[in-house]
Amino acid sequence: MMAPLLAIEDLSIAYQLGDGRDAEAISGFSLHLERGRIVGIVGQSGAGKSTIGKAILGLMGDNARITGGTIALDGTDITRFSEARFAAIRGKRIGYIYQNPMTALNPVLSIGEQLIEAIEANTTRRGGDARAYAVELLKSAEVTHAEERLAKYPHQLSGGLCQRIVFAIAIAAQPDLIIADEPTTALDVTVQKAVLATLKKLAREKQISIVLITHDMGVVAQMCDGVSVLWRGRLVEHGPTAQVIGAPRERYTRDLMAAIPTVDHKRARFDVLDSFEDTPGRRRGIAFLKSGIAAGRDGQSLLSIRNLSKTFDAQGGRGTSGGFRALDGVAFEVFAGETLGIVGESGSGKSTIGRAILGLVEPDAGASIAFQGRPIAEMRGRRDRVALSRSLQCIFQDPYSSLNPRMNAGTNITYGIVAQGLVSRAEAKVLAQDLLEVVGLPRAAAGKMPHAFSGGERQRIGIARALAFRPELIFCDEPTSALDVTVQAEILNLMKELQETLGLTLVFVSHDLAVVRQMCDRVIVMRAGRMVEEGNADEVLTAPRETYTRDLLAAMPRIAFEDA
Amino acid sequence: MSETTFESSAGRFDRFRAVFAGYPAAVAGLIGIVLFSLIALFAPVLAPQDPFDQSRLDIMDGLLPPMSTLMDGTLSVLGTDAVGRDILSAVMYGMRTSLFVALVSVGAGVAVGVVLGLVAVMRGGWIDAVIMRTADLTLSFPGVLLALLLLVVFGSGADKVILALAIGIWAQNARLVRAVGLSEMKKDYIAAARLAGIGQLRIMFHFLLPNAISPVLVIVPMAISGAIVAEATLSFLGVGVPITEPSLGLLISNGNDYLLSGRWWISVAPGLVLVMMVLSINVVADRLRDHANPYLQART
Repeated sequence: MMAPLLAIEDLSIAYQLGDGRDAEAISGFSLHLERGRIVGIVGQSGAGKSTIGKAILGLMGDNARITGGTIALDGTDITRFSEARFAAIRGKRIGYIYQNPMTALNPVLSIGEQLIEAIEANTTRRGGDARAYAVELLKSAEVTHAEERLAKYPHQLSGGLCQRIVFAIAIAAQPDLIIADEPTTALDVTVQKAVLATLKKLAREKQISIVLITHDMGVVAQMCDGVSVLWRGRLVEHGPTAQVIGAPRERYTRDLMAAIPTVDHKRARFDVLDSFEDTPGRRRGIAFLKSGIAAGRDGQSLLSIRNLSKTFDAQGGRGTSGGFRALDGVAFEVFAGETLGIVGESGSGKSTIGRAILGLVEPDAGASIAFQGRPIAEMRGRRDRVALSRSLQCIFQDPYSSLNPRMNAGTNITYGIVAQGLVSRAEAKVLAQDLLEVVGLPRAAAGKMPHAFSGGERQRIGIARALAFRPELIFCDEPTSALDVTVQAEILNLMKELQETLGLTLVFVSHDLAVVRQMCDRVIVMRAGRMVEEGNADEVLTAPRETYTRDLLAAMPRIAFEDA
Repeated sequence: MSETTFESSAGRFDRFRAVFAGYPAAVAGLIGIVLFSLIALFAPVLAPQDPFDQSRLDIMDGLLPPMSTLMDGTLSVLGTDAVGRDILSAVMYGMRTSLFVALVSVGAGVAVGVVLGLVAVMRGGWIDAVIMRTADLTLSFPGVLLALLLLVVFGSGADKVILALAIGIWAQNARLVRAVGLSEMKKDYIAAARLAGIGQLRIMFHFLLPNAISPVLVIVPMAISGAIVAEATLSFLGVGVPITEPSLGLLISNGNDYLLSGRWWISVAPGLVLVMMVLSINVVADRLRDHANPYLQART
């Protein structure tokens, strides 16, 4: 038995804080990786996954240092390596694959130039030989039309292709080890599956070991031989993938698994801890919301959309001459009390639908959007606009940009209803605190500024802001895609809870079929601005009629649950 | 006022201290600014003589070197000029004029620039184009040349100088605010505000302004020191403030004729004060700019 290629023993890493103290990022982490094997490191953001990857590459910042333990590559401890010695192994013995291929490639150099540069820097091949090798590398990374791609620039290629080119660069020197840091997080599911398959094939063929850093258990299930679960810098559990996923031993791993939504069956709630205390404030908040959100009209058509198209001008950014057709003849209805899911890959136009409904983008001529039977285009008067903004609200995707950073949480929640005269300023203060309790935050949170909250907490504040209007319909634009899976489970639980107590009508946009399955009654599948399939969520997501929907479903990374 | 944030004043003070702690040059600059401002503010009380009261000037005191005693028995620490004016007093009053002109012109320039920049962001289209091309036009003129031109056309005077300087200042502020504002406009909290039915003006002043103003605040001190220097230049050239309310620039210009005849003190005193004042402001401005630039400081 050979010594493992990579042996990390009892590694501890600390970051120096501004005031001179050390904050321990990694403590006592160990990992053994045999040649040609793939090991996953999973954990929430902030768990220290990337820090480990950077330590192996010697790319930690000046303020980080290894406080204990060893990282041995083929028996040689590299933790004390100088920058020059690291430079000698980086690219040659250890390759690196970045999260976002679009930023990892140099936008002003052609693919060929970048590949050949990497080849010439790390191998003895030169000139025509290097070029021939570049084509060979692209082919092994399953890039179609490899020859032609050499002359292209990164912006001319899709994200998936760019990531394959990053693979080709990483394997150019035939390294022993590749660190892949969230290699598919920036990609669509359909692309993700194929790209991961290529990476796995490369590892097997060329006997390359991979340390795969990810937050996605589905990716681990598809890729990894073994997995290490990291929580706040500590190794919680490690073992063969099947064992860790199938029968996790530790509480944290079980929670992590329980938080993952599945597309195969709908669960009433995710099995994560929720902290809703039945306080007077929370009861008051819910009573306030109930009194305004008209229930009992279930089944009535609330929103009716006909012939919705949207063309963006060519000069408005993307697209070629003649403009970019983001939406093409979309038509559907939203009924009171239901949750309608809209799924599709990025660029399929799902967010544009919402922005058109909310009046944030102007649809093309001929479109008709009617709310409660009245065309929105006719509701131009001041009173109508106010009524409309009271009825239609939105929960945004990015919790970091959706709150005004210069207002405290309480004001962020209530400024709109105060401005519309729905409540007085004095009432708003109490109401903001009540609503914070409704969404599971403490009353004291009202006085804090947005930067003091985590992403999940900010999203709760965003939900409270939307609820404050007591709207008829809430448009949820990928509300959990920027969040960790455990936080996502909490937010989804909260939304389910509110859905049930308040009878909300939701339009829920997501690229994640599993999330849509958990949340929605009906679902619309979008592709390139057109509706592909529409129907009952259970049917569409278990027995789709259209090939495209089937492809989407097949591309989803799946985890074999024991009880599924 | 519910839109604005309340932080305890102690918190503000601590953050203020954190900006300057460990930067002795910036602290010295800060002390300098406070000192100069106080002297300028209380010049009538502090100055040994009222340099503008013609009846108290005595031609017999003319061109006395530093540390001389005047005819009325007071000590002239920095000497006197040709008409017997005490230089120390003149400098104190000169600082008043210099600072006043600089502060008002920067205030006006920043206010106009910020508002026009925000309007450009909010309205877009041809309004944006007109505002920004006008800004480009202003910036394509050398500042002093533009001011000279204006002052030649409209005549000199403190108000004209303020106008001339403000024209130079508004354009860069409008550009800066527009650049920051455009990126803020794309953020969802603005969409949320529009969705909440908040009016354009309110979005502009309550949402966009507080989030786009920080970089402007960082360049304001720089603009003030620039305005002090520009005013001094104009006054030195004789097109600035009138002789009846001399600024530091005019005082330097007064002594210019005597420099070569060995009476250096007339120009040197106001010159040194000018340099010290601008230097103080600049080191503080540098510190603020570095503090605001995340690339130059390790974030904690």
